Amino acid sequence: MKIKYDTKKKFVEQVFLLEILKGLKLTLKRLFSKSVTVQYPKEKKPLFPGFRGKHALIRNPLTQEAKCVACMRCASVCPARCISIRYSVDEKTRARKVESYDIDALRCIFCGYCEEACPVNAIVLTEDYEYSDYTREPFRFDMERLLKNWDEFLEKNNIEPDNYLNPFLRPRGLPTGELPAGKRIKVPDEWTYEGQVVWRNGKAVSAKEAASE
Amino acid sequence: MELLWILIKILIVFAVVMLHVMYATYFERKVIGHMQVRMGPMRVGPHGILQPIADGLKLFLKEDIMPTVADKKVFYAAPLICLISALSAVAVIPFFEGFAIANINIGLLYIFAMSSLASYGVVLAGWSSNSKYSFLGGLRSSAQVISYEIAMGLSLVGVMMLAGSLNLTDIVHAQMKSPFKIYLIPQIIGFFVFVVAMFAETNRTPFDLPEAESELVAGYCTEYSGMRFALFFMAEYIGMIIMSCLAVVCFLGGWSGPFDVPGIPFFWFILKVYLFIFLYYWVRATLPRYRYDQLMALGWKVLIPLALFNIVLTGTIKSIFG
Repeated sequence: MKIKYDTKKKFVEQVFLLEILKGLKLTLKRLFSKSVTVQYPKEKKPLFPGFRGKHALIRNPLTQEAKCVACMRCASVCPARCISIRYSVDEKTRARKVESYDIDALRCIFCGYCEEACPVNAIVLTEDYEYSDYTREPFRFDMERLLKNWDEFLEKNNIEPDNYLNPFLRPRGLPTGELPAGKRIKVPDEWTYEGQVVWRNGKAVSAKEAASE
Repeated sequence: MELLWILIKILIVFAVVMLHVMYATYFERKVIGHMQVRMGPMRVGPHGILQPIADGLKLFLKEDIMPTVADKKVFYAAPLICLISALSAVAVIPFFEGFAIANINIGLLYIFAMSSLASYGVVLAGWSSNSKYSFLGGLRSSAQVISYEIAMGLSLVGVMMLAGSLNLTDIVHAQMKSPFKIYLIPQIIGFFVFVVAMFAETNRTPFDLPEAESELVAGYCTEYSGMRFALFFMAEYIGMIIMSCLAVVCFLGGWSGPFDVPGIPFFWFILKVYLFIFLYYWVRATLPRYRYDQLMALGWKVLIPLALFNIVLTGTIKSIFG
Protein backbone atom coordinates (compact mmCIF):
# COMPACT_ATOMS: atom_id res chain seq x y z
CA MET A 1 0.00 0.00 0.00
CA LYS A 2 1.22 3.43 -0.86
CA ILE A 3 0.24 6.26 1.38
CA LYS A 4 -0.31 9.48 -0.44
CA TYR A 5 0.36 12.54 1.64
CA ASP A 6 -1.16 15.83 0.67
CA THR A 7 2.08 17.71 0.21
CA LYS A 8 0.90 20.32 -2.22
CA LYS A 9 -0.60 22.69 0.34
CA LYS A 10 -0.76 26.26 -0.69
CA PHE A 11 2.07 28.32 0.71
CA VAL A 12 -0.32 30.79 2.37
CA GLU A 13 -2.18 27.95 4.04
CA GLN A 14 1.02 26.66 5.54
CA VAL A 15 2.38 29.97 6.73
CA PHE A 16 -0.77 31.12 8.47
CA LEU A 17 -1.68 27.66 9.83
CA LEU A 18 -5.10 27.83 8.24
CA GLU A 19 -5.93 24.22 9.02
CA ILE A 20 -5.10 24.70 12.68
CA LEU A 21 -7.19 27.87 12.81
CA LYS A 22 -10.10 25.97 11.27
CA GLY A 23 -9.77 23.35 13.98
CA LEU A 24 -9.62 26.01 16.67
CA LYS A 25 -12.76 27.61 15.26
CA LEU A 26 -14.58 24.30 15.43
CA THR A 27 -13.63 23.62 19.04
CA LEU A 28 -14.57 27.15 20.04
CA LYS A 29 -17.96 26.69 18.42
CA ARG A 30 -18.44 23.45 20.32
CA LEU A 31 -17.55 25.17 23.58
CA PHE A 32 -20.82 27.05 23.42
CA SER A 33 -22.95 24.17 22.25
CA LYS A 34 -25.14 22.19 24.60
CA SER A 35 -23.47 19.06 25.91
CA VAL A 36 -24.99 15.69 25.13
CA THR A 37 -24.30 14.23 28.57
CA VAL A 38 -27.18 12.67 30.46
CA GLN A 39 -26.47 13.02 34.19
CA TYR A 40 -27.52 9.44 34.76
CA PRO A 41 -28.81 8.91 38.28
CA LYS A 42 -30.42 12.34 38.19
CA GLU A 43 -31.67 12.32 34.62
CA LYS A 44 -32.68 9.23 32.74
CA LYS A 45 -33.15 8.64 29.08
CA PRO A 46 -36.72 7.89 28.02
CA LEU A 47 -37.40 4.21 27.46
CA PHE A 48 -39.15 3.13 24.32
CA PRO A 49 -42.11 0.74 24.35
CA GLY A 50 -40.83 -2.78 24.20
CA PHE A 51 -37.75 -2.14 26.31
CA ARG A 52 -36.70 -5.49 27.72
CA GLY A 53 -35.61 -5.24 31.35
CA LYS A 54 -36.11 -7.09 34.60
CA HIS A 55 -38.27 -10.19 34.42
CA ALA A 56 -41.66 -10.36 36.12
CA LEU A 57 -44.67 -12.62 36.27
CA ILE A 58 -47.89 -10.68 35.86
CA ARG A 59 -50.16 -11.12 38.86
CA ASN A 60 -53.65 -12.19 37.96
CA PRO A 61 -55.96 -9.60 39.55
CA LEU A 62 -58.63 -12.23 40.24
CA THR A 63 -56.59 -14.90 41.97
CA GLN A 64 -53.57 -12.83 43.03
CA GLU A 65 -51.46 -15.66 41.62
CA ALA A 66 -49.32 -15.88 38.50
CA LYS A 67 -51.18 -16.36 35.23
CA CYS A 68 -48.83 -19.14 34.15
CA VAL A 69 -50.48 -22.34 32.96
CA ALA A 70 -47.24 -24.35 32.68
CA CYS A 71 -47.51 -24.79 28.91
CA MET A 72 -43.68 -24.74 28.75
CA ARG A 73 -43.61 -22.59 25.62
CA CYS A 74 -41.36 -19.98 27.18
CA ALA A 75 -38.93 -22.58 28.43
CA SER A 76 -38.85 -24.23 25.01
CA VAL A 77 -38.37 -21.03 23.04
CA CYS A 78 -35.73 -19.59 25.35
CA PRO A 79 -32.44 -19.60 23.41
CA ALA A 80 -30.39 -19.22 26.58
CA ARG A 81 -32.31 -21.92 28.45
CA CYS A 82 -32.57 -19.75 31.49
CA ILE A 83 -36.18 -20.62 32.35
CA SER A 84 -36.91 -23.80 34.30
CA ILE A 85 -40.44 -24.77 35.24
CA ARG A 86 -41.67 -27.70 37.34
CA TYR A 87 -45.35 -28.55 37.38
CA SER A 88 -47.69 -31.23 38.62
CA VAL A 89 -50.79 -32.58 36.89
CA ASP A 90 -54.03 -32.98 38.70
CA GLU A 91 -55.12 -36.63 38.29
CA LYS A 92 -58.81 -35.85 37.82
CA THR A 93 -58.97 -32.58 35.89
CA ARG A 94 -55.67 -33.00 34.02
CA ALA A 95 -54.97 -29.36 34.93
CA ARG A 96 -51.37 -28.39 35.32
CA LYS A 97 -50.19 -26.63 38.43
CA VAL A 98 -46.93 -24.73 38.49
CA GLU A 99 -44.70 -26.00 41.30
CA SER A 100 -41.76 -23.70 40.64
CA TYR A 101 -40.82 -21.13 38.03
CA ASP A 102 -37.18 -20.07 38.01
CA ILE A 103 -35.34 -17.63 35.79
CA ASP A 104 -31.58 -17.24 35.88
CA ALA A 105 -31.35 -13.56 34.96
CA LEU A 106 -27.60 -13.75 34.55
CA ARG A 107 -28.03 -16.25 31.75
CA CYS A 108 -30.91 -14.42 30.10
CA ILE A 109 -30.09 -12.61 26.86
CA PHE A 110 -33.21 -10.42 26.98
CA CYS A 111 -34.51 -11.48 23.56
CA GLY A 112 -38.14 -11.23 24.63
CA TYR A 113 -39.15 -14.55 23.06
CA CYS A 114 -40.69 -15.78 26.31
CA GLU A 115 -43.18 -12.94 26.58
CA GLU A 116 -43.95 -13.21 22.88
CA ALA A 117 -44.58 -16.95 23.10
CA CYS A 118 -46.62 -16.91 26.28
CA PRO A 119 -50.28 -17.57 25.33
CA VAL A 120 -51.71 -16.02 28.49
CA ASN A 121 -49.30 -13.09 28.86
CA ALA A 122 -47.98 -14.39 32.14
CA ILE A 123 -44.32 -13.48 31.78
CA VAL A 124 -43.15 -10.01 30.85
CA LEU A 125 -39.86 -8.15 30.64
CA THR A 126 -40.56 -4.89 32.45
CA GLU A 127 -38.95 -1.50 31.83
CA ASP A 128 -36.99 -1.77 35.07
CA TYR A 129 -33.26 -2.00 34.43
CA GLU A 130 -31.65 -0.91 37.69
CA TYR A 131 -31.13 -4.08 39.67
CA SER A 132 -27.40 -4.52 40.10
CA ASP A 133 -26.06 -6.37 43.10
CA TYR A 134 -22.85 -7.70 44.62
CA THR A 135 -23.64 -11.41 44.51
CA ARG A 136 -25.20 -13.79 42.01
CA GLU A 137 -27.91 -15.02 44.33
CA PRO A 138 -30.34 -12.11 43.84
CA PHE A 139 -30.42 -12.77 40.11
CA ARG A 140 -31.95 -16.23 40.41
CA PHE A 141 -35.60 -15.25 40.31
CA ASP A 142 -38.09 -17.77 41.69
CA MET A 143 -41.84 -17.44 41.30
CA GLU A 144 -42.29 -15.43 44.47
CA ARG A 145 -39.53 -13.05 43.49
CA LEU A 146 -40.92 -12.67 39.94
CA LEU A 147 -44.36 -11.75 41.28
CA LYS A 148 -42.72 -9.30 43.64
CA ASN A 149 -40.82 -7.80 40.69
CA TRP A 150 -44.16 -7.12 39.05
CA ASP A 151 -45.58 -5.42 42.14
CA GLU A 152 -42.45 -3.35 42.57
CA PHE A 153 -42.46 -2.34 38.93
CA LEU A 154 -46.07 -1.17 39.10
CA GLU A 155 -45.46 0.71 42.32
CA LYS A 156 -42.26 2.36 41.15
CA ASN A 157 -43.75 3.60 37.87
CA ASN A 158 -47.26 4.28 39.16
CA ILE A 159 -48.91 2.00 36.62
CA GLU A 160 -52.37 0.51 36.95
CA PRO A 161 -52.06 -3.24 36.25
CA ASP A 162 -54.91 -3.08 33.74
CA ASN A 163 -53.28 -0.30 31.75
CA TYR A 164 -49.92 -1.96 31.29
CA LEU A 165 -49.14 -2.52 27.63
CA ASN A 166 -46.07 -3.96 25.98
CA PRO A 167 -45.63 -4.62 22.24
CA PHE A 168 -44.59 -8.18 23.04
CA LEU A 169 -47.90 -8.96 24.67
CA ARG A 170 -49.38 -8.86 21.19
CA PRO A 171 -46.75 -9.85 18.59
CA ARG A 172 -46.92 -8.01 15.27
CA GLY A 173 -46.26 -10.88 12.95
CA LEU A 174 -49.63 -12.56 13.31
CA PRO A 175 -53.13 -11.40 12.41
CA THR A 176 -55.64 -11.23 15.23
CA GLY A 177 -57.34 -14.45 14.20
CA GLU A 178 -54.21 -16.49 14.58
CA LEU A 179 -53.34 -15.19 18.05
CA PRO A 180 -54.23 -17.17 21.17
CA ALA A 181 -57.14 -15.66 23.06
CA GLY A 182 -54.92 -14.30 25.80
CA LYS A 183 -52.91 -12.23 23.38
CA ARG A 184 -55.83 -10.51 21.66
CA ILE A 185 -55.58 -7.50 23.91
CA LYS A 186 -56.25 -3.93 22.91
CA VAL A 187 -53.07 -2.18 21.85
CA PRO A 188 -52.30 0.94 19.77
CA ASP A 189 -53.08 0.42 16.13
CA GLU A 190 -49.48 0.40 14.89
CA TRP A 191 -48.63 -2.44 17.28
CA THR A 192 -51.11 -4.81 15.62
CA TYR A 193 -50.55 -6.92 12.57
CA GLU A 194 -53.27 -5.02 10.73
CA GLY A 195 -51.77 -1.63 11.45
CA GLN A 196 -48.20 -2.70 10.81
CA VAL A 197 -46.47 -0.98 7.91
CA VAL A 198 -43.82 -2.75 5.85
CA TRP A 199 -41.62 -1.69 3.00
CA ARG A 200 -42.39 -3.34 -0.33
CA ASN A 201 -40.91 -2.29 -3.71
CA GLY A 202 -40.02 1.15 -2.43
CA LYS A 203 -43.45 1.83 -0.97
CA ALA A 204 -44.84 1.69 2.54
CA VAL A 205 -47.78 -0.70 2.55
CA SER A 206 -49.69 -2.39 5.35
CA ALA A 207 -48.56 -5.86 6.32
CA LYS A 208 -51.92 -7.28 5.32
CA GLU A 209 -51.60 -5.97 1.76
CA ALA A 210 -48.04 -7.21 1.54
CA ALA A 211 -49.13 -10.69 2.60
CA SER A 212 -51.95 -10.83 0.05
CA GLU A 213 -49.69 -9.91 -2.86
CA MET B 1 10.59 45.53 58.18
CA GLU B 2 11.69 45.17 54.57
CA LEU B 3 12.17 41.44 55.09
CA LEU B 4 8.74 41.08 56.68
CA TRP B 5 7.12 42.85 53.73
CA ILE B 6 8.91 40.51 51.32
CA LEU B 7 7.79 37.49 53.33
CA ILE B 8 4.20 38.71 53.23
CA LYS B 9 4.51 39.26 49.48
CA ILE B 10 5.88 35.74 49.03
CA LEU B 11 3.04 34.31 51.07
CA ILE B 12 0.40 36.18 49.11
CA VAL B 13 1.88 35.23 45.74
CA PHE B 14 2.37 31.61 46.80
CA ALA B 15 -1.22 31.31 48.00
CA VAL B 16 -2.62 32.97 44.91
CA VAL B 17 -0.51 30.86 42.55
CA MET B 18 -1.44 27.62 44.34
CA LEU B 19 -5.11 28.55 44.23
CA HIS B 20 -4.75 29.23 40.54
CA VAL B 21 -3.08 25.88 40.02
CA MET B 22 -5.96 24.15 41.79
CA TYR B 23 -8.60 25.84 39.75
CA ALA B 24 -6.59 25.67 36.53
CA THR B 25 -7.12 21.89 36.63
CA TYR B 26 -10.83 22.36 37.17
CA PHE B 27 -11.05 25.01 34.46
CA GLU B 28 -9.12 22.79 32.07
CA ARG B 29 -11.43 19.84 32.58
CA LYS B 30 -14.47 22.04 32.17
CA VAL B 31 -13.23 23.80 29.03
CA ILE B 32 -12.05 20.64 27.33
CA GLY B 33 -15.21 18.85 28.40
CA HIS B 34 -17.46 21.45 26.86
CA MET B 35 -15.33 21.57 23.72
CA GLN B 36 -15.90 17.84 23.40
CA VAL B 37 -19.65 18.39 24.03
CA ARG B 38 -19.36 16.84 27.49
CA MET B 39 -19.83 18.52 30.86
CA GLY B 40 -16.61 17.90 32.73
CA PRO B 41 -16.71 17.39 36.51
CA MET B 42 -20.25 17.80 37.81
CA ARG B 43 -20.58 15.79 41.00
CA VAL B 44 -18.49 17.41 43.76
CA GLY B 45 -20.36 20.55 44.71
CA PRO B 46 -22.52 22.55 42.30
CA HIS B 47 -21.09 22.08 38.80
CA GLY B 48 -18.15 20.23 40.35
CA ILE B 49 -16.70 23.40 41.86
CA LEU B 50 -15.09 21.49 44.75
CA GLN B 51 -13.48 18.90 42.46
CA PRO B 52 -9.89 20.25 42.89
CA ILE B 53 -10.21 19.94 46.67
CA ALA B 54 -11.40 16.36 46.35
CA ASP B 55 -8.55 15.60 43.94
CA GLY B 56 -5.99 17.21 46.22
CA LEU B 57 -7.26 15.26 49.21
CA LYS B 58 -7.12 12.04 47.25
CA LEU B 59 -3.54 12.65 46.11
CA PHE B 60 -2.45 13.53 49.66
CA LEU B 61 -3.89 10.36 51.12
CA LYS B 62 -2.67 8.01 48.43
CA GLU B 63 0.08 5.54 49.07
CA ASP B 64 3.54 6.72 48.04
CA ILE B 65 4.92 3.87 45.98
CA MET B 66 8.56 3.69 45.01
CA PRO B 67 9.99 1.15 42.55
CA THR B 68 12.53 -1.12 44.27
CA VAL B 69 15.09 -0.60 41.51
CA ALA B 70 14.74 3.18 41.53
CA ASP B 71 17.62 5.46 42.42
CA LYS B 72 16.10 6.60 45.70
CA LYS B 73 17.76 9.98 46.25
CA VAL B 74 17.25 11.19 42.71
CA PHE B 75 13.76 9.75 42.66
CA TYR B 76 12.88 11.84 45.71
CA ALA B 77 14.64 14.96 44.47
CA ALA B 78 13.24 15.05 40.92
CA PRO B 79 9.70 16.30 41.66
CA LEU B 80 11.10 18.82 44.11
CA ILE B 81 13.48 20.19 41.48
CA CYS B 82 10.55 20.60 39.13
CA LEU B 83 8.32 22.32 41.65
CA ILE B 84 10.92 24.55 43.29
CA SER B 85 12.33 25.83 40.02
CA ALA B 86 8.81 26.47 38.72
CA LEU B 87 7.80 28.29 41.89
CA SER B 88 10.95 30.39 42.16
CA ALA B 89 10.38 31.74 38.65
CA VAL B 90 7.22 33.41 39.94
CA ALA B 91 9.39 35.69 42.09
CA VAL B 92 10.41 38.03 39.28
CA ILE B 93 7.05 38.50 37.60
CA PRO B 94 5.63 42.01 38.01
CA PHE B 95 1.91 41.55 38.63
CA PHE B 96 1.23 45.28 38.71
CA GLU B 97 3.10 48.54 39.06
CA GLY B 98 5.79 48.06 41.67
CA PHE B 99 4.68 44.61 42.79
CA ALA B 100 7.30 41.97 42.10
CA ILE B 101 8.86 39.93 44.87
CA ALA B 102 12.30 40.44 43.32
CA ASN B 103 12.67 43.25 40.83
CA ILE B 104 16.01 42.08 39.42
CA ASN B 105 17.80 43.30 36.34
CA ILE B 106 18.08 39.91 34.66
CA GLY B 107 14.46 38.88 35.18
CA LEU B 108 14.02 37.42 31.72
CA LEU B 109 17.21 35.36 31.88
CA TYR B 110 16.28 34.18 35.36
CA ILE B 111 12.95 32.83 34.11
CA PHE B 112 14.73 31.04 31.26
CA ALA B 113 17.18 29.53 33.70
CA MET B 114 14.42 28.34 35.99
CA SER B 115 12.32 26.82 33.23
CA SER B 116 15.41 24.98 31.97
CA LEU B 117 16.10 23.72 35.48
CA ALA B 118 12.55 22.38 35.67
CA SER B 119 13.32 20.13 32.74
CA TYR B 120 16.22 18.68 34.75
CA GLY B 121 13.59 17.47 37.18
CA VAL B 122 11.79 15.75 34.32
CA VAL B 123 14.95 14.18 32.93
CA LEU B 124 16.11 12.97 36.34
CA ALA B 125 12.66 11.58 37.12
CA GLY B 126 12.77 9.62 33.89
CA TRP B 127 16.24 8.32 34.59
CA SER B 128 15.86 7.46 38.27
CA SER B 129 12.58 5.57 37.87
CA ASN B 130 14.46 2.79 36.11
CA SER B 131 11.51 2.11 33.83
CA LYS B 132 11.66 2.21 30.06
CA TYR B 133 8.62 4.43 29.68
CA SER B 134 9.91 6.95 32.17
CA PHE B 135 13.32 6.85 30.55
CA LEU B 136 11.93 7.51 27.08
CA GLY B 137 9.85 10.33 28.48
CA GLY B 138 12.91 11.88 30.09
CA LEU B 139 14.95 11.52 26.93
CA ARG B 140 12.31 13.16 24.84
CA SER B 141 11.96 15.96 27.34
CA SER B 142 15.67 16.76 27.26
CA ALA B 143 15.79 16.83 23.46
CA GLN B 144 12.61 18.86 23.20
CA VAL B 145 13.51 21.41 25.82
CA ILE B 146 16.97 22.01 24.34
CA SER B 147 15.49 22.59 20.89
CA TYR B 148 12.73 24.89 22.00
CA GLU B 149 14.71 26.77 24.61
CA ILE B 150 16.80 28.21 21.78
CA ALA B 151 13.78 29.25 19.76
CA MET B 152 12.18 30.78 22.81
CA GLY B 153 15.27 32.70 23.83
CA LEU B 154 15.77 34.01 20.31
CA SER B 155 12.12 35.01 19.98
CA LEU B 156 12.48 37.28 23.00
CA VAL B 157 15.68 38.91 21.75
CA GLY B 158 13.54 41.24 19.64
CA VAL B 159 11.69 42.34 22.77
CA MET B 160 14.99 42.90 24.58
CA MET B 161 16.25 44.99 21.66
CA LEU B 162 13.15 47.17 21.63
CA ALA B 163 12.98 47.56 25.40
CA GLY B 164 16.72 47.78 25.95
CA SER B 165 16.42 45.88 29.20
CA LEU B 166 16.05 42.41 30.71
CA ASN B 167 14.14 43.71 33.69
CA LEU B 168 10.51 42.69 33.32
CA THR B 169 9.15 45.87 34.90
CA ASP B 170 11.27 47.96 32.54
CA ILE B 171 10.01 45.95 29.57
CA VAL B 172 6.42 46.79 30.51
CA HIS B 173 7.31 50.45 30.98
CA ALA B 174 9.07 50.52 27.62
CA GLN B 175 5.97 49.04 25.99
CA MET B 176 3.74 51.71 27.48
CA LYS B 177 5.98 54.36 25.91
CA SER B 178 6.19 52.62 22.52
CA PRO B 179 3.93 53.83 19.65
CA PHE B 180 1.75 50.69 19.58
CA LYS B 181 1.56 50.42 23.41
CA ILE B 182 2.22 46.66 23.12
CA TYR B 183 5.03 44.73 21.47
CA LEU B 184 2.60 42.29 19.88
CA ILE B 185 2.35 44.34 16.70
CA PRO B 186 6.02 45.14 15.98
CA GLN B 187 7.09 41.71 17.27
CA ILE B 188 4.38 39.56 15.67
CA ILE B 189 6.90 37.02 14.37
CA GLY B 190 8.59 36.84 17.73
CA PHE B 191 5.22 36.41 19.38
CA PHE B 192 4.31 33.53 17.10
CA VAL B 193 7.62 31.77 17.77
CA PHE B 194 7.26 32.41 21.49
CA VAL B 195 3.74 30.98 21.67
CA VAL B 196 4.75 27.79 19.87
CA ALA B 197 7.89 27.42 21.97
CA MET B 198 5.82 28.12 25.08
CA PHE B 199 3.69 25.05 24.42
CA ALA B 200 6.77 22.91 23.93
CA GLU B 201 8.54 24.33 26.98
CA THR B 202 5.68 23.41 29.30
CA ASN B 203 5.20 19.96 27.73
CA ARG B 204 1.64 20.68 26.74
CA THR B 205 -0.28 19.35 23.74
CA PRO B 206 0.59 19.30 20.84
CA PHE B 207 4.14 18.91 22.21
CA ASP B 208 3.40 16.64 25.16
CA LEU B 209 5.84 13.97 24.01
CA PRO B 210 7.54 13.52 27.41
CA GLU B 211 4.31 12.27 28.94
CA ALA B 212 2.55 11.01 25.81
CA GLU B 213 -0.21 8.94 27.41
CA SER B 214 -0.96 6.88 24.36
CA GLU B 215 2.65 5.78 23.82
CA LEU B 216 4.52 6.03 27.12
CA VAL B 217 1.83 5.33 29.75
CA ALA B 218 2.58 8.62 31.51
CA GLY B 219 6.13 9.31 30.38
CA TYR B 220 8.49 10.56 33.06
CA CYS B 221 5.90 10.33 35.86
CA THR B 222 4.84 6.74 35.17
CA GLU B 223 6.39 5.43 38.39
CA TYR B 224 5.27 8.30 40.58
CA SER B 225 2.16 8.16 42.71
CA GLY B 226 0.30 10.16 45.30
CA MET B 227 1.86 13.40 46.44
CA ARG B 228 5.01 13.03 44.36
CA PHE B 229 2.92 12.81 41.23
CA ALA B 230 0.96 15.84 42.40
CA LEU B 231 4.23 17.79 42.67
CA PHE B 232 4.93 17.18 38.98
CA PHE B 233 1.39 18.13 38.19
CA MET B 234 1.64 21.38 40.12
CA ALA B 235 4.99 22.17 38.51
CA GLU B 236 3.43 21.73 35.07
CA TYR B 237 0.57 24.09 35.85
CA ILE B 238 2.82 26.66 37.51
CA GLY B 239 5.00 26.44 34.40
CA MET B 240 1.95 27.21 32.29
CA ILE B 241 1.08 30.19 34.46
CA ILE B 242 4.65 31.50 34.29
CA MET B 243 4.85 31.17 30.53
CA SER B 244 1.50 32.95 30.22
CA CYS B 245 2.76 35.71 32.52
CA LEU B 246 5.94 36.00 30.46
CA ALA B 247 3.97 36.29 27.24
CA VAL B 248 1.76 38.96 28.80
CA VAL B 249 4.73 40.90 30.17
CA CYS B 250 6.81 40.73 27.00
CA PHE B 251 4.19 41.07 24.28
CA LEU B 252 0.86 42.27 25.67
CA GLY B 253 1.96 45.17 27.82
CA GLY B 254 1.80 43.59 31.28
CA TRP B 255 -0.62 45.27 33.66
CA SER B 256 -1.47 48.17 31.34
CA GLY B 257 -4.88 48.19 29.71
CA PRO B 258 -7.18 50.44 27.69
CA PHE B 259 -8.42 52.05 30.93
CA ASP B 260 -7.58 51.74 34.61
CA VAL B 261 -9.84 49.59 36.75
CA PRO B 262 -10.00 51.34 40.14
CA GLY B 263 -9.00 49.20 43.10
CA ILE B 264 -7.77 46.23 41.04
CA PRO B 265 -4.33 47.19 39.67
CA PHE B 266 -3.72 43.64 38.42
CA PHE B 267 -7.04 43.37 36.55
CA TRP B 268 -5.64 43.56 33.02
CA PHE B 269 -2.65 41.39 33.88
CA ILE B 270 -4.84 38.61 35.26
CA LEU B 271 -7.27 38.88 32.38
CA LYS B 272 -4.50 38.49 29.81
CA VAL B 273 -2.96 35.58 31.71
CA TYR B 274 -6.33 33.85 31.79
CA LEU B 275 -6.60 34.33 28.04
CA PHE B 276 -3.28 32.58 27.55
CA ILE B 277 -4.23 29.75 29.89
CA PHE B 278 -7.45 29.38 27.96
CA LEU B 279 -5.37 29.22 24.79
CA TYR B 280 -3.45 26.29 26.30
CA TYR B 281 -6.68 24.38 26.89
CA TRP B 282 -8.16 25.40 23.58
CA VAL B 283 -5.14 24.07 21.69
CA ARG B 284 -5.14 20.91 23.79
CA ALA B 285 -8.76 20.26 22.87
CA THR B 286 -8.01 20.81 19.19
CA LEU B 287 -4.64 19.39 18.17
CA PRO B 288 -3.24 15.87 18.31
CA ARG B 289 0.36 15.22 19.34
CA TYR B 290 3.24 15.93 16.98
CA ARG B 291 5.40 13.06 15.87
CA TYR B 292 8.94 13.22 17.23
CA ASP B 293 10.62 14.04 13.90
CA GLN B 294 7.96 16.66 13.16
CA LEU B 295 8.65 18.23 16.52
CA MET B 296 12.37 18.45 15.82
CA ALA B 297 11.80 19.67 12.26
CA LEU B 298 9.46 22.39 13.44
CA GLY B 299 11.85 23.52 16.13
CA TRP B 300 15.08 23.58 14.12
CA LYS B 301 13.88 24.25 10.58
CA VAL B 302 11.05 26.69 11.18
CA LEU B 303 11.10 28.35 14.56
CA ILE B 304 14.81 29.04 14.99
CA PRO B 305 15.25 30.53 11.46
CA LEU B 306 12.08 32.55 11.99
CA ALA B 307 13.36 33.88 15.31
CA LEU B 308 16.74 34.75 13.76
CA PHE B 309 14.97 36.51 10.89
CA ASN B 310 12.93 38.44 13.44
CA ILE B 311 16.10 39.59 15.19
CA VAL B 312 17.61 40.80 11.90
CA LEU B 313 14.38 42.55 10.94
CA THR B 314 14.01 44.22 14.33
CA GLY B 315 17.65 45.32 14.28
CA THR B 316 17.35 46.74 10.75
CA ILE B 317 14.18 48.66 11.50
CA LYS B 318 15.55 49.92 14.78
CA SER B 319 18.77 51.15 13.17
CA ILE B 320 16.83 52.91 10.41
CA PHE B 321 14.05 54.53 12.47
CA GLY B 322 15.39 54.54 16.02
